[in-house]
Amino acid sequence: MSFLAPLFLLGALAVALPVIFHLIRRTTRERTVFSSLMFLWPTPPRLTRRSRLEHILLLLLRCAVLCLLAFGFARPFIKTATPGDPSSGPGKRVVVLLDTSASMRRGNVWPEARSQAEAMVRKAAPADQVAVFTFGQPVTRLVTFDQWNATPAGERAALVARRLAEVSPAWSATHLGNALVSAAEALEDPDSPSFLGRRQIVLISDLQEGSRLGPLQAYEWPKNVELILGPVKARRPTNAGLQLVADADEADKRPADSGLRVRVSNASDSKREQFQVGWARPEGRGFVGTATDVYVPPGQSRVVPAPAPPTNASVDRLVLQGDDEDFDNAVFVVPPETARANVLYWGRDSEKDTKQPLYFLQRAFQQTRRQTVQVIARGPNAPLLPTEGESAALIVVTDPLPEPQVNGLRRLLSGGQTILFVMKSPESAPTLAALLEVNRLAVEEARTGGYAMLGEIDFRHPLFAPFADPRFSDFTKIHFWKYRRLDAAAIPGARLLAKFDSGDAAFLEVPVGKGRLLVLTSGWHPDDSQLALSSKFVPLLYSILEQTGGVAPAPAQYFVGDTVPLRSLTGPTNLTLTVRTPDGRPVQLAQGETNFSQTLAPGIYTVTSAQPPQRFAVNLEAAESRTAPLPADELERLGAPVRHLAPDGVNPPGRPTRLQNAELENRQKLWRWLIVAAMVVLLAESWLAGWLARRSTTQTEATL
Amino acid sequence: MTAAVKSPAWPGATLINPQALMSIRNLELRARVVVDGFWSGLHRSPYHGFSVEFTEYRPYTPGDDPRYLDWRLFARSDRYFIKKFEDETNLRCHLLADNSRSMTYGSLSYTKAQYANTLAATLAYFLYLQGDAVGVLTFDEQIRDYLPARHRAGHLRHLMLALEKPAGGRATDLAAPLQRIVEMVRKRGLMLLISDFLAPIDSLEKNLISLAASGHEVVLFHLLDPAELTFNFSQAAMFRDLESGRDLFIDPAAARKEYLRKLEAHSAAVRATSQKLGISYHRLATDQPLELALFDFLRQRVQRGRKAKRVGRYAVRGRP
Repeated sequence: MSFLAPLFLLGALAVALPVIFHLIRRTTRERTVFSSLMFLWPTPPRLTRRSRLEHILLLLLRCAVLCLLAFGFARPFIKTATPGDPSSGPGKRVVVLLDTSASMRRGNVWPEARSQAEAMVRKAAPADQVAVFTFGQPVTRLVTFDQWNATPAGERAALVARRLAEVSPAWSATHLGNALVSAAEALEDPDSPSFLGRRQIVLISDLQEGSRLGPLQAYEWPKNVELILGPVKARRPTNAGLQLVADADEADKRPADSGLRVRVSNASDSKREQFQVGWARPEGRGFVGTATDVYVPPGQSRVVPAPAPPTNASVDRLVLQGDDEDFDNAVFVVPPETARANVLYWGRDSEKDTKQPLYFLQRAFQQTRRQTVQVIARGPNAPLLPTEGESAALIVVTDPLPEPQVNGLRRLLSGGQTILFVMKSPESAPTLAALLEVNRLAVEEARTGGYAMLGEIDFRHPLFAPFADPRFSDFTKIHFWKYRRLDAAAIPGARLLAKFDSGDAAFLEVPVGKGRLLVLTSGWHPDDSQLALSSKFVPLLYSILEQTGGVAPAPAQYFVGDTVPLRSLTGPTNLTLTVRTPDGRPVQLAQGETNFSQTLAPGIYTVTSAQPPQRFAVNLEAAESRTAPLPADELERLGAPVRHLAPDGVNPPGRPTRLQNAELENRQKLWRWLIVAAMVVLLAESWLAGWLARRSTTQTEATL
Repeated sequence: MTAAVKSPAWPGATLINPQALMSIRNLELRARVVVDGFWSGLHRSPYHGFSVEFTEYRPYTPGDDPRYLDWRLFARSDRYFIKKFEDETNLRCHLLADNSRSMTYGSLSYTKAQYANTLAATLAYFLYLQGDAVGVLTFDEQIRDYLPARHRAGHLRHLMLALEKPAGGRATDLAAPLQRIVEMVRKRGLMLLISDFLAPIDSLEKNLISLAASGHEVVLFHLLDPAELTFNFSQAAMFRDLESGRDLFIDPAAARKEYLRKLEAHSAAVRATSQKLGISYHRLATDQPLELALFDFLRQRVQRGRKAKRVGRYAVRGRP
């Protein structure tokens, strides 16, 4: 017999009341007169003498009513295992989530976490189902439920210990939210949706402040899954981290000047405040050259300029010294190298002519420390060199071309090149038709009646995506004096990126072969429009160049676990890429694959197959340095029902299969019978009380 | 009508059961039953009654009342002598009956007050028969009825009427009544005080001192109900004080021992005070036959008389 609400049993204590009332009534009713009480003192009522209780049967009935009510309210039920339903057994499903993020590398943390996980698994009952997941950025299923179930009960702990021995903390950030969601989903076993046992997630982690909990905010925590925390605390709390601040991309910086700035952040529970930052060699400890002293109070961060790298030594990292933990004390730096891109311009105009497009094009691409874009101008009749065409990041055509050049360009287009075709006049229609491989293209000079504006722009297209923000999306200030009307519907596959306010096409994208042709029906030179003079011109050109892979989209910092687009380093290539990891291991990517995702450790990665070999640095995520403990209620705030693991690693007794009990009780409904019994007893009590009252009245009348 | 019981104290004496006696409604009849029985028993008693004591002869001088001439002596000696008694009148006896509320208590079929009044009536009747002047004073916290000591026809009837009035007082307060009687009765006499003396011993002693100091001979009859003497209640209950109306919850089993100890201490204190003041003290339970009270009283009187005779100069003359 069990109870769903055992606290109501305390109500049975109310049986004391009728007993007391029976005693009190008895004692107060008797009155005796006496000559004088001068020799007497009051004696306290002695209620315990059973002989003084009268109407014992009545008393028993009243007590029975109270007991039955208390019993009924406690919602009793009889525990019976439903045969044929294995899920109703006492077992529970547990996912042990073990943190393997970089912060677990601190001193004692990992061994303690491992032993806690092993203890947890050893304590599991044979009927329990346990899975062990590790998480950093990705969630790794170390032992699944199926593997657990397939292993004999006696060997399960050994299996988990064996698997755990192979695991060590990685370098990734703590994506705790993802891990919890994955674990909760793993507990929701689709095979046994009616599983009524307890479902628990045991989280063994250092629960650092820098854990990413974002996915939990959008996740509705399942009602029947408990989260049990097994926090592991570092013995030495002082930890400061070093991160690279995105460097300024300014043209006037001398290459020798590092221009690097680093952020030194100190954990809020640190005990020290004084640190040093300096350059170091890959193998050596200690600084090379001078180091900068940094004072950072606990819980704060400071951005300081990094010292200039020593010129005569090959240094690749900035290191921080002065804290207890050194897992996050190095920042790998690859000196920025200037990217080069060529833009091939095909037109008649001279670069000195301030009224022609070339003049503006050359001034749009300024040289910066990160990239150099060279505009190579060719006359319409100049021969097209294949190497020149293939290496160009973009080909701009503004005038009608002779047929050989058109054929060469079409080949390049089919091979994957991008051509920006600027229609300065309706005469370039045949060239465009030839490039598009259509027979005839009707193009005429449009009548603007003053000027035209861009009326409708497809901001979803990558070219215009940078302007999608309302702050930048106003193109109405650009007036187009002239443009050529082009029937876009006649071009198969054409996508209208922008239209004039008259509804005519302004900017078109047409895929041709592997490449694509961008058609601007007006020019940017002052005769045609104000485009070249507007603030949108340069970003638009860079946007086109980024699309073609001519320039890297941004000076990206890569963190452990990030996917690195190698194409931005190597440029368009069809070669099979090989990347050497910091520990010297070569990783060969599949044919055509340009994304490298095995950034498992911080360090300098080298794309060896490129010419020249390209290097990129992968660093530890900044959040991982925030090692102070997470606020206790943070997880609860996000909806996870949190309990703490008992010190010995044993799961504390919580709501044991409460749902199951509730269902059993609901099925049996014993309380109804108890209430009915209470009513019956109450009726009997009323009848008996009435009968006794009548009898005593009769007796009194008889004595009178 | 009256049931006779054998008293273990006096073998051979047939005493009247007070229960049976009290069933007689007429107080005078009750007194008469007791006294008549007592007289008949008295003949078997080794003691003789008492009388007003003769003191001296003195020669007759003109102006003396010729009623007191001793004619027999004149016959013998041919001289006139006046026969002089110690008191020219009979014994002046006052019965002081306590009628306070506590006296209305009785665990038997009658109350202490009824018993006290019967006792007073019996003594009055007895003394009246002896020819003594008998007065009555009933009191509670103040004097209720007062009949001065007289011996004349019809006085006994008045006494009985006064004693038959029901008790209605509240507290037992001896101070005021005793003070008043001392003031009213100038001539020395016998004071028979019948009460349960349920009052603090200090005030009691003060009052008795003033009574004894006024020259009266004082006899106390301390009446107690058998229930008061044994406190043989069985059930715990709210006990109500008859005098103050105060309620107390009392478990007799727990309180009995202490009660009896205090009661005995109180009785002993009253007795000791009496002895100290030369006052006769008789404690009576209301289930005791009245004859015993009368007998005790008389015996004590005789003892006093003997003592006086041993010391005194006068012969005792018996009276019929």
